[in-house]
Amino acid sequence: MSIEICGVGKRFGNFVALDNINLSIPTGELVALLGPSGCGKTTLLRIIAGMETPDGGHVKFAGEEATHLHARERNVGFVFQHYALFRHMSVFENVAFGLRVKPRGERPAENEIRRRVIDLLKLVQLDWLADRYPSQLSGGQRQRIALARALAVEPKVLLLDEPFGALDTKVRKELRRWLRRLHDEVHISSVFVTHDQEEALEVADRVVVMNHGRIEQIGTPDEVYSNPASPFVYQFLGNVNVFHSRVHGQWADVGGGENEEKASDTPDATPSGQAEKKGEALAFVRPHDIDIERSPVAGSIEATVQDVHAIGPIVRVELAHASELIEVEITRERAAGLNLVRGLAVWLKPRQVKVFNVAASQLEEGGSGI
Amino acid sequence: MKNKHVLPGFGLALGITLVYLSLLVLLPLSGLAFKASSLSAGELWNVATSERALASYRVTFGASLLAAGINAVFGLIVAWVLVRYPFPGKRLVDSLVDLPFALPTAVAGITLATLYAGNGWLGRFLEPLGLKVAFTPLGIVVALTFIGLPFVVRTLQPVIEDIEPEIEEAAASLGASRLQTFLRVLLPGVFPALLTGFTLAFSRAIGEYGSVIFIAGNMPLISEITPLLIISKLEQYDVIGATALALVMLVISFVMLLAVNALQWWSANRHHGREKVSL
Repeated sequence: MSIEICGVGKRFGNFVALDNINLSIPTGELVALLGPSGCGKTTLLRIIAGMETPDGGHVKFAGEEATHLHARERNVGFVFQHYALFRHMSVFENVAFGLRVKPRGERPAENEIRRRVIDLLKLVQLDWLADRYPSQLSGGQRQRIALARALAVEPKVLLLDEPFGALDTKVRKELRRWLRRLHDEVHISSVFVTHDQEEALEVADRVVVMNHGRIEQIGTPDEVYSNPASPFVYQFLGNVNVFHSRVHGQWADVGGGENEEKASDTPDATPSGQAEKKGEALAFVRPHDIDIERSPVAGSIEATVQDVHAIGPIVRVELAHASELIEVEITRERAAGLNLVRGLAVWLKPRQVKVFNVAASQLEEGGSGI
Repeated sequence: MKNKHVLPGFGLALGITLVYLSLLVLLPLSGLAFKASSLSAGELWNVATSERALASYRVTFGASLLAAGINAVFGLIVAWVLVRYPFPGKRLVDSLVDLPFALPTAVAGITLATLYAGNGWLGRFLEPLGLKVAFTPLGIVVALTFIGLPFVVRTLQPVIEDIEPEIEEAAASLGASRLQTFLRVLLPGVFPALLTGFTLAFSRAIGEYGSVIFIAGNMPLISEITPLLIISKLEQYDVIGATALALVMLVISFVMLLAVNALQWWSANRHHGREKVSL
């Protein structure tokens, strides 16, 4: 079932949680709402679920008005960050709950309930835990039970609020792949909230990046990562180096005239006329988009090695250029070939740069870099 | 390997616990039993089952049970409101709950008696309706309800605070109505605590003396509670009779507490019994 959100706004006192949100989620898609804490993503999810009432705007399910439907009438499955399992019920009864509370006319017979619950428990691969109580399960198991419970009422939409937020890294990775497979198996529209960009990029069909109650960008994981619409999106999706620069015509001048980067690859984000007038611009470069050379090459800037950290398969090098700190990630082999030591003078050549003018960037102050 | 605990000396702590409990609880009670043993069984039986005594048990335990029941229902509502909803003056209301704890019971008794007497603020409206409260068994129930309230509320509050609001939202998103959410999800969660609060209020009510005697009217066979009967026997230097009644109260209270504890143990065991966590 498709979900349409038109002009939804929500305030808590003076705090604007959501500001005129428009979003449409087609049937069968797995959509991630991604953003830092306090960006309004959970509020949006709760409005879709009917647990929060928007101050204005509409929520439509399959084209039908659902803004004022109560949560119990919306037929959505909701999965909470902290599971919210019923502690006094066994795993079986937790999953069966949604079926048992149906009005007498719609309630399936006891053996039908039994069959469906066992099927769901098999789907989440935990049928052997049916008689246990939630307190006896691990976090990952609890979340899978919570998912089975939400699926029991055959919802048309599955909403997940930071579903893996309370789990450790390994379990989290396992569960999100499993969620992806599950989503493909049961064919429903799913929306999940996360602040973990890796999670969003890996699992979702589409990513909705939010900040300060607004949508910054909607796109496939590849689009939002490789073609961020705003400095905020750039900074939020992975590490980034920011260079203060001047724009002359089509060129951004990074590092006081030693180097010029072509700014024309970002025509949408940097209307060149505006950038020209302002003059000032910020150039964004991902750490893995910079080459380190031992000798100057065309278009490179000089920097001094400050620190070298080997982190698993990559080597992270911190360098100083004038007063700015630059982070570069290179492979182990490349690092070995370069023989980097602290204090060494090297030359950096960015492979890919994105330039935003300062006016656009300043809107994003307060957005975190990682 | 020996377990390392923050506080040293399990042996010492247990020793203190046992000595303390023995001195404070066990010794007086066994003294009572010892005193009663000087009575012959027949004498004991006669005193304990006299018509006046039987009537006083009925009044004491009946009124206590009723009062504890009323408190269980309304205490749950009060505790729920105090935990869940913000409202102006909440702290004041919250501290009002403790008043029956702090107030000398005699003061409570006098106040209630004045309030519910035929010419009192409430009594003058209730009496024309045929509802006599002061100086009847109903008055006893009122007094016992008053003194029992904080036990239920204070026992329930931390447990209700523990229930995440998400539990209710989860139930609603699964299609449960408000009533179903309350009966199937919330009530079972607070039931063990409710039972504890009920037991505490009940025990307190059985032992209550001060507030009751002012409002009860103390008519033998109708509105006389057992503690009062014990006192009046003592005043007549009938130590043996008083002891016999005391022993009966002790035994009944003990059996009831045991039963409620068993019920509690059972209900707790049903949900969280096998606490081993599997990964």
